Amino acid sequence: MSQTSCRLFKGEDMVYEALDFYDVDSQLSEEEIMVRDMVRDWVDAEVLPKIEHACRDGVFPDEWRVALGEMGVLGAPLDGYGCPGLSYVAYGVICRELERGDSGLRSFASVQGSLAMYPIWDFGSEEQKNKYLPKMASGDLIGCFGLTEPDYGSNPGGMITKAEDKGDHYILNGAKMWITNGTISDLAIVWAKLDGVIRGFIVETGDEGYSAPEMKGKHSLKASVTSELVFQDCKIPKDRILPGVKGLKGPFSCLNNARYGISWGALGAAQACFHSAKEYTLSRIQFDVPIASYQLIQNKLAWMLREITKGQLLALELGKKKDDGSWIPEHISLAKMNNVDIALEIARMARDMHGANGILDEYCIMRHMANLESVKTYEGTHDIHNLILGRHITGIQSFTRSE
Amino acid sequence: MEITIIAETQENNLHSVTRQLVGAATSLGASPTILCANGIGADEAAGISGVGKVVSVNGDCFTTFDGGAWATAFDAAAGEGVIMGAATAQGRDVVSRIAARRGIPVVQDVVALSEGIKMTHPIYSGKAMQDVTVAGDCAMTLRANIFSAADDGGSAESSIVQQSGDVKIAVQEAIAKASERLDVTDADIIISGGRGMGGPENFDKLYSIADGLGAAVGASRAAVDAWDEIPHNMQVGQTGKTVNPSLYIAVGISGAIQHLAGMRTSKFIVAINKDPEAPIFKIADYGIVSTWEEALPVLASEIANLQ
Amino acid sequence: MFIEVSFVALNMVEIAVLLKQVPDTNAKIAILGGRVDESAVTSWVTSPYDEYALEAALQHIEAAGGSITAITLGPDRADKVLKDAAALGVTKLVRIWGDGWEDLDSNQVQFALVDAVRASGAELVYCGKQSADRNQGSTGPGVAEMLGAACVVEVSEFDASSSSYVRPASSGSEKVTVSSPAVITFSKTESDLRRPNVRGIMMSKKAQIDLVSSDVGSSQVNFNGDSSPAEKPPGKTFQGSDCIPEVVGLLRDEAKVL
Ligand SMILES: Cc1cc2nc3c(=O)[nH]c(=O)nc-3n(C[C@H](O)[C@H](O)[C@H](O)COP(=O)(O)OP(=O)(O)OC[C@H]3O[C@@H](n4cnc5c(N)ncnc54)[C@H](O)[C@@H]3O)c2cc1C
Ligand SMILES: Cc1cc2nc3c(=O)[nH]c(=O)nc-3n(C[C@H](O)[C@H](O)[C@H](O)COP(=O)(O)OP(=O)(O)OC[C@H]3O[C@@H](n4cnc5c(N)ncnc54)[C@H](O)[C@@H]3O)c2cc1C
Repeated sequence: MSQTSCRLFKGEDMVYEALDFYDVDSQLSEEEIMVRDMVRDWVDAEVLPKIEHACRDGVFPDEWRVALGEMGVLGAPLDGYGCPGLSYVAYGVICRELERGDSGLRSFASVQGSLAMYPIWDFGSEEQKNKYLPKMASGDLIGCFGLTEPDYGSNPGGMITKAEDKGDHYILNGAKMWITNGTISDLAIVWAKLDGVIRGFIVETGDEGYSAPEMKGKHSLKASVTSELVFQDCKIPKDRILPGVKGLKGPFSCLNNARYGISWGALGAAQACFHSAKEYTLSRIQFDVPIASYQLIQNKLAWMLREITKGQLLALELGKKKDDGSWIPEHISLAKMNNVDIALEIARMARDMHGANGILDEYCIMRHMANLESVKTYEGTHDIHNLILGRHITGIQSFTRSE
Repeated sequence: MEITIIAETQENNLHSVTRQLVGAATSLGASPTILCANGIGADEAAGISGVGKVVSVNGDCFTTFDGGAWATAFDAAAGEGVIMGAATAQGRDVVSRIAARRGIPVVQDVVALSEGIKMTHPIYSGKAMQDVTVAGDCAMTLRANIFSAADDGGSAESSIVQQSGDVKIAVQEAIAKASERLDVTDADIIISGGRGMGGPENFDKLYSIADGLGAAVGASRAAVDAWDEIPHNMQVGQTGKTVNPSLYIAVGISGAIQHLAGMRTSKFIVAINKDPEAPIFKIADYGIVSTWEEALPVLASEIANLQ
Repeated sequence: MFIEVSFVALNMVEIAVLLKQVPDTNAKIAILGGRVDESAVTSWVTSPYDEYALEAALQHIEAAGGSITAITLGPDRADKVLKDAAALGVTKLVRIWGDGWEDLDSNQVQFALVDAVRASGAELVYCGKQSADRNQGSTGPGVAEMLGAACVVEVSEFDASSSSYVRPASSGSEKVTVSSPAVITFSKTESDLRRPNVRGIMMSKKAQIDLVSSDVGSSQVNFNGDSSPAEKPPGKTFQGSDCIPEVVGLLRDEAKVL
């Protein structure tokens, strides 16, 4: 028998090769590369072998929560209070690598970091920060973010959930809908109107009058928990209000960060679909030759490459702006909208290129495709971002007819 | 040129690779000296054609394997020139230690050898080959089953020397071979069965051949899906394991593209299938058109003959 | 307090781990101008068996106390393997390199490593059984010889509590102990390799790498060139089971896989 062992060597062609046509990752720091590789290796080893199962069962595996905490990537760009203190570019890279696995996994991390940890970090009291942030960074406590309501989606300002000051406590009444992580979370950041002004409140699981039933029947983001949050005379102590912010600025600051992460994340899903489409079309023979040798297929692959490359440049440039502070919210709208849009289009195209195989859960594409439908809707729908840009260009808001 | 061979032994006999070492040494024009630890295989070695001398190196150290102690003993018994061993775990250990003692270079796992001294050895797990030349003394290990073995017909003089070294390794406990099956991703040889095996009970035929080869048994997805006895961790292919062994034997497997995705990069592929049109034959290095019922018994006995 | 300190001191071990940077084992190896084209390698990693050696060292230190020095011999890019080790908690990092060191022979490599091991004060050296690029397996035993140390090769299991190692034996495997100083070469072990985390990665950024060199003399080996392995002959088809002896013969003599 030959002496050279083969045991540690995978086949050459089965390895995930992240498409990076312009070598955008060469602009990452050494530390950012190490974080990328850490997350990528983890996704290969622990997520991809289990994701289809998780989707079939409709669960977010708890071991992923533990691992994300151990890796120390939750709340990536936040500093202090046990948080990682990475750059925004690193946060983007983490989102990209997680979403290459599954958008539900990235959603978990986005909600935890940008929507639950961030408001405490930015608007919370010193006591709140010390109490929650270290345990949220380690994954021991999970948070969710309750903004959307059954009747108020794109227009959160109209929310009806309200808080009343009862002297030594607050009473919350109302309901939130479509809340990622709701049922599995230990605390919820809930936006509600106190005397007509939107304020943030920290509601803990177990608070009187609070429940978070899971929403079932999703065809998308199946490995992510989505819930309703119900407040029926929910009583919370006075020290649970976020003192540092009033009005829509509160939830919108959180969304800016989450949307920024999504602009990277969607590229991860797109890269996974591109990779699968390339491998598949090179190996699928029809009419005697690989279908990758047909011009129609090559045109599709070239389009994917083009859009992913543009998206990567967009995301990296935006990341640098986040890090140096020169960004405006409209920059984020553009990137979220564009990158999710092309990722979804790439997933649909890849689905087509896989023929019948494309509908099977043996391939990642239909899952990514279905996931991206949610990603296109949440964190500001595609068209809402168009309206944000439209307002920026013209100075005229078109969200509503009445002003 | 002076060449000293460290005899490779197996239990109380010479290992067949020792004759290949002699064959390689004589091809360089040498009449090699063979060193036999505690005289094991010395008589047989003296009868190999082309051997110059046989030296039994007798010492206490040879009861436990300790490369350092063995190298000390062999080094004292060996002459100048070239030190040659087999590219086994022990051979590589001892030979590289002798080289380090002497300050001469060592080249391991040599697969081609010519005067000069020119050596070729695989690098990157065989994805490339490297050619080197050493002008002076050197040490080398040769890969088994590459060089032709020297025949009988010699009558070398034998002598005995007492040499030993300090043994610093103590064996605490022998551990029997785990009865657990080798995993396909850990194996250098894999024999896989597909739907053509007819039933899970017939996989026993594959297991017995695998045991003889130190191989793992794999399966196609059709076999895994059809039979509960064949677990998913045996599945090779796109949705199973990706493997890259030196030898992959596919039995009753048609060669669907999803199966090929998991084993295409195997160094050598043998296919046994009764259908001459089966796509697996397109990528097989050696295709055997036969039913497994006929082929496997012959394969089993041929492999047994090899050992 | 005093007792606790002396207890720890009794068990403390200093381990040097030898880590080599190699092209990702999944990478295609291309030949350019008669040599393996390193510039075509896009991803460099720590040689896989070395990772098991490092994991064993980390476990050993956790059980016994002490510290690890990670040593690599390689050009600038090899800093990466040290940084990766630092992200797992290794604090002492040494890279060895010198001008014109692209083609060192086995002795030169071992000599340079031995210098660094001596300087580290380690009594145990952990390394992979062979590197994934040159596949030689000479380094561990050669370093041991130069250090006057024992060497246990191809260890597949390490037990920190008894400081024992499992190595292959003719009838399975055997558990051995070894007196120090010693060199242990690892094959793949059952241990899961630990993952870095962000905190470790941040620490590694601050970790200092000592760059050293040695007078290794001149190479006694001439590297004539690298080539692609011989093309496989086209597939052959045989009819019926009668041909199996012939096929087995070919597998042995032509394919050389049996
Ligand atoms: C899986 C999932 C997870 C979610 N997680 C959370 C969460 O954790 N927390 C949270 O608060 N919310 C969450 N959401 C809710 C999400 O943010 C909302 O669904 C989103 O804001 C859109 O609101 P809507 O669904 O009510 O759609 P609507 O606002 O009713 O929009 C329907 C359509 O009308 C369009 N539209 C709306 N207004 C205009 C206009 N002025 N001009 C032109 N077109 C318009 C939209 O673009 C869209 O195409 C989640 C949603 C999903 C699907
Ligand atoms: C998305 C997807 C992923 C997949 N992933 C994998 C995967 O990971 N691994 C995998 O293996 N498959 C996979 N498949 C299934 C794959 O397409 C094939 O269906 C499967 O490999 C067929 O297995 P087989 O060759 O054993 O069976 P068959 O195709 O039925 O072939 C049986 C063969 O046995 C031969 N035969 C019959 N009797 C005898 C006899 N007595 N002696 C000798 N030969 C005999 C026949 O001639 C035939 O060639 C996947 C399929 C899909 C769609």
